[in-house]
Amino acid sequence: MKFTHALRVTFPALLLLFSLLSCEIEEQFDPNGPSINSVLSNATPSELNLLVTGIEARTRDGFSNYVTASGTIARELYIFDADPRNTSDLLGKDETFIDANTFYLTAPFSSRYRVVKNANVLLEAVNNTTLISADEADGYRGFANTMKALMLSQVLDLLNENGIRVDVADPENLGPFLSKEASYDAILALYDEAFTQLQGSTFNFTLSSGFTGFDTPEEFAKVNRALSARTATHAERYQEALTRVNASFLDLNGDLSSGPEHIFGTGSGDILNPLFKAPGQSGDQLIVHPRIIANATSGDARLGKFRMRVSSSSVDGLTGDFETALYESVTSPIDIIRNEELVLIWAEASINTGEYDDGVTGINIIRNAAGIGDYSGDVSEDALIDEMLYQRTYSLWGEGHQMFDLRRYGLLNADYLPIDRVGDDVFTQFPIPLSEGQ
Amino acid sequence: MYTSLGKAGLLLVFTLLTHATMLAQFTVSGNVSDSDGFSLTGVSVLVVGTTSGTVTDIDGNFSVQLPANSEQLRFSYTGFAPQTVNVSPSTSELSIIMKEDIANLEQIVVTGLASSIKRSNLANAVSTVSAEELTGVTSQQTVDGALYGKMTGVNITQSSGAPGGGYAIRLRGVSSLSGNNQPLIILDGVYISNVEIPSGSRNASGANAGNEEGASNRLADINPDDIESMEVLKGASAAAIYGTRANAGVIIITTKQGTSGRTDISFNQDFGFNTIIKKVGRRSYTADQVEEAFGADERAIFEAAEARGEIFDYEDEIYGEQGFISDSRLRISGGNEKTSFFLSGSYRDEDGIVKGTGYERLSTRLNVTHKFSQRLKIQSNTSYIRSNSNRSFFGNENDGGLSYGYTLAFTRDWYNLFPDENGNYPDNPTAAGNPIQTRDQTRNTENIDRVLQGVNLQYNVLQKDNQNLKVVLNGGVDFFLNQTEVYVPETFQSQRGLQNGFLGVGKNNVFNVNYSAIAVHSYYTPSDVSFTTQAGITYLNFENDFVYNQTTQLIPGQQNLTQGGAQSITQTLSSTEEFGFLAQEEVNIQDKIIGTVGVRFDKSSLNGDPNKYYAFPRASLALNLTEFDFWDQSSFVNQFKPRIAYGQTGNSATFGRLFTSLTPVGIGGQSGFSVSGAQGNSELEPETSTELEFGVDVGLAQNKVNLSATYYIRDVKNLLYDRSLPTSSGFGNEIRNDLDLRNTGFEFQLGLNPVRTANLDYSTTLNFWFNNSEITRLGIPDGESGDDIPSFVPPGAGFGLGLGTFYIDEGSPITGLWSNGENGPEQIGNTEPDFQFGWGNNLSIGKNLTVSALFHWRQGSDILNLTRLLTDIGGTTPRSSDDLEGFIEDGSYFRLREASVYYDIPLQSDFIRGLKVGVSGRNIFTLTDYSSYDPEVSVNGGSGLSSNLEVGPFPSSKQFYFHLGFNF
Repeated sequence: MKFTHALRVTFPALLLLFSLLSCEIEEQFDPNGPSINSVLSNATPSELNLLVTGIEARTRDGFSNYVTASGTIARELYIFDADPRNTSDLLGKDETFIDANTFYLTAPFSSRYRVVKNANVLLEAVNNTTLISADEADGYRGFANTMKALMLSQVLDLLNENGIRVDVADPENLGPFLSKEASYDAILALYDEAFTQLQGSTFNFTLSSGFTGFDTPEEFAKVNRALSARTATHAERYQEALTRVNASFLDLNGDLSSGPEHIFGTGSGDILNPLFKAPGQSGDQLIVHPRIIANATSGDARLGKFRMRVSSSSVDGLTGDFETALYESVTSPIDIIRNEELVLIWAEASINTGEYDDGVTGINIIRNAAGIGDYSGDVSEDALIDEMLYQRTYSLWGEGHQMFDLRRYGLLNADYLPIDRVGDDVFTQFPIPLSEGQ
Repeated sequence: MYTSLGKAGLLLVFTLLTHATMLAQFTVSGNVSDSDGFSLTGVSVLVVGTTSGTVTDIDGNFSVQLPANSEQLRFSYTGFAPQTVNVSPSTSELSIIMKEDIANLEQIVVTGLASSIKRSNLANAVSTVSAEELTGVTSQQTVDGALYGKMTGVNITQSSGAPGGGYAIRLRGVSSLSGNNQPLIILDGVYISNVEIPSGSRNASGANAGNEEGASNRLADINPDDIESMEVLKGASAAAIYGTRANAGVIIITTKQGTSGRTDISFNQDFGFNTIIKKVGRRSYTADQVEEAFGADERAIFEAAEARGEIFDYEDEIYGEQGFISDSRLRISGGNEKTSFFLSGSYRDEDGIVKGTGYERLSTRLNVTHKFSQRLKIQSNTSYIRSNSNRSFFGNENDGGLSYGYTLAFTRDWYNLFPDENGNYPDNPTAAGNPIQTRDQTRNTENIDRVLQGVNLQYNVLQKDNQNLKVVLNGGVDFFLNQTEVYVPETFQSQRGLQNGFLGVGKNNVFNVNYSAIAVHSYYTPSDVSFTTQAGITYLNFENDFVYNQTTQLIPGQQNLTQGGAQSITQTLSSTEEFGFLAQEEVNIQDKIIGTVGVRFDKSSLNGDPNKYYAFPRASLALNLTEFDFWDQSSFVNQFKPRIAYGQTGNSATFGRLFTSLTPVGIGGQSGFSVSGAQGNSELEPETSTELEFGVDVGLAQNKVNLSATYYIRDVKNLLYDRSLPTSSGFGNEIRNDLDLRNTGFEFQLGLNPVRTANLDYSTTLNFWFNNSEITRLGIPDGESGDDIPSFVPPGAGFGLGLGTFYIDEGSPITGLWSNGENGPEQIGNTEPDFQFGWGNNLSIGKNLTVSALFHWRQGSDILNLTRLLTDIGGTTPRSSDDLEGFIEDGSYFRLREASVYYDIPLQSDFIRGLKVGVSGRNIFTLTDYSSYDPEVSVNGGSGLSSNLEVGPFPSSKQFYFHLGFNF
């Protein structure tokens, strides 16, 4: 029959066609980047070094939000930019409050933990490779753990009484939010672990020029002590702070500007200094809070951080005549920690441990550097703390300290800070981000 | 009774003529004409119970040989109701008068890769939009924009009012959260790309993501005038045979073809203009009010400006242009018995309502069909498109000072922002950019060069009286090069001291290939039962290569990527391969009962296991009760067809979601890498949509009244979605596969032709539809508190719970807008309309005058209007909006979407056969309480959960046209 004949010819032909075409689809790989698994087993030194650079580079991400959001709450500055929530939520305008799912919290929070993740990947990679020596391994660990502790401490600064998660190595099984005190214990222990690892270790990697002078294990260990001293003051553990700051690169007679930096550049993959604002620019500007200007001491060299605007800037019922001049250009570095802060930590720890003379000495180093002469007020704990806080306000303006300084002395409130608009609130901490599911 | 045949059947009719070699035969001949007495050419004449027959010639005459036992002839012709007449050897000359098919029951609807069915036998509510409905009323910018209000079950989101479009088509609700929320579009067998390719302007404007850049979607490249018809398979029950790409429905576009006979030449020219639908207005100020709002210093500035007469209206300055539109279209078609062709060329040039914005599209198309023999036919459809658009800057941003909506909100009308005599633009003292400078000196352009090629080959392997077997091979290529350019000069306010000049150039290649091979076997029994069996394979391969180059720190005045101090490149590659088998069986019992079962098996490189097949079954049943003997054929009810259909489709994750990658970073010239925010999942499976649809089609009073009602239940299972992870994990989000969503909806269509006389014909179509969604399962186990399933904010779908966002919460609609309430997150609105209603009207007066109008009513549909939040802060909200509370507004509207009047000028000319003039408009008037520009808005482009969020959009425009058309 014709039909069966046609079938005989066509169907085998079709079957052949089908089977030819139904070839296997190949196993997929990512054409756009290396996979995370590639570094977790027997990583080469160059892969480990790429992770080190990744950690250093990423510590800069989200840092500007940490500085400006906390600075807004502490009535240190206003953010006049495209996002209306910077002038509403953070200042508690009308019924608004700090939202658990908005960038001013989520950006610094997630970027800090991104670095923690990178550090954990580096730690795991170091543990799983045979291509480096034990001293080199400790060098990587000392670096990774120091940066991890720095990141966790910044998260704790924001969340305060909410505490933080410290154990986050396994994304499927995150550790609990620890209490504030337990969080401080964990961070300080992590700094100490890193400090121990750095002893006798070798750096088989090159940090950026921001760490010039702090790029050997010995010098980097002093940065570790410096950062841990800052955390100890935030924890109000002043005796501990004193011990730590003394082991740091603190130099009472040295250059106050000495210290490691975040650097910025226009190179590929690099970022620009997000805290630099073009002079006179409107629409994207950091405005100095009027209280900072009103309380300034005339002749204070630190007032050079503020630039008077041609016309005052007014947004959302907030007005200021001065804008930030903290950074000269878009590639100016941001200090991670510098001798000036270490002197202030030394003074603060001294005052709180009853060593008032050392407190006055420290304060005078700062005052004289600013060109306003020696301290002449009462030498009492309360007076010295007020003075120390005043110096911190002007020495560290716009660098992410004021909110935490005022808070630990019970001053982060509407009694101490001016309220700009009727109904504004002073918040003392950030909530746990919504995505944490708490 | 008679046998149904589709387009393929028509072909068979030709081919079978030579095979009719029966012993005992008789011949019947005659003539076929329409009710006005005009001869009809190409009417199919079929001997019932066989596959043999003929077609009428150019004068409407036919002659057919019949086997001795034949009793009936069936006449069918597109657009006319079929007729079956009794014949016998004694029949001599037949004179057949065909009646117009008012309800399009005979329309052939394409429903599968190689299958079609006539509308009266369809078991699904497939919407068909004809060329006349699509482009017959007014000049259309884009294909998707032309669809709204013309069919049920569709919701169209407009992400930009810019010329060149920016639309998203959503069929029967949300079907995916991970991007592929747009229907599969197949144009003449080519799987065409409808991507939105961002230009990288976010790197200058500070927008959060590429989807906030308001790019156009690439369906914009298709010339609407080339389209013969569009079939929209809205849900899984109709689209199942398309398998893993069809979760959001399928749109099948067929372009025009030539027919044998006289060569037709037509030329159409439209002239028109764009103008803003509505100006929101600016806040009025007196000196006292300025002082109250901005302080005494500002009052002085205001009074000085007032004294100089320099109070401006910057909204009018930016959005006040009347953009000229010219659209020219030439069509030539013709052919002979073996070869036919359709050749078209079109050029559209459209200026937007903002100076410098516009869209230009040149397209050509050549469709050729050639019959090698009675058995073998090949068809080639080729189109080349070139388009340019300048879209400028709109939508969300951060500190770039570029987006007009943003800067205008903060711009005060008493500052002079115009350039001085040296051409220097002053800084905007109250915003990050000067909108006048943005308009005059920046660029954000897209250029497209695109080639679409489809080839279709049909081979009739076997032709017998009662059966035939054909093989259909189909192949398609869609290739385009998309080039984007963003330029912001170094003098621009937000650039100075930072990027110091910005140039971003994208070079993006898209290359899609698809082919299919399908065999279709039809078998007819003597008792007029037909079996149609099809089986085949399909394959597709999509390759994308997107390269984005950026130079900042520009050398002053230079606009070349080399001429700057900071350069960077980003390359994004993707590759997708899919392969599938399909098989389907359709049984048609005398047009009384039509049943179909089918299944498709697909595998995809986007799934965790690229070689695992997933099955997508379907089944449907339609009962034409009026065809049964018990039905009184002369009754008032001419058609009564209950129908039910079930089917499943799938959708794989977007490319790259299987991987957890490291991204490059740099510091001080050193390279490094970092984990990226998205945690991949190497075990992803496709999400599936299972739909049950049932309804009834009713025709009354000789089909002058047509009614179609459909209810559907569409369950999307194992939805792919990004869930925000606890970011303390180091990841921002992960992709998951364990959310279920149910869409239910109702679609109702009523077609009326109440007046139908020689001099007056009025027809009207009423479309009514709504959809509701509910999240039925959230499969995330909560490690801390047992069975509680936490709700969450999907990444990138709003502005946080502080301002408003979509929110995934079990038991709630997926389209809800949520924000912080007293007891945590609470739903404050729903973007899903309560219902929509489209009302189309056509009136013909005499032979020459036609009037059309399409009204569209959307009820409900809340919008988060953050433009007003910005203007509130900037002090520019018009005082008429002072009484509005909150930023959620009702987006209901009633709109005259299209209207036209055309007149055919009677001519006594051998040269010009037709001359038509007309005027028309689009978006002519809108009634709405919505306080901003247009309630059709989306700040986040077309994908995912994107609609109804407004932040400084490109305001929608209305258009008015004058039309001139010639036929030669």
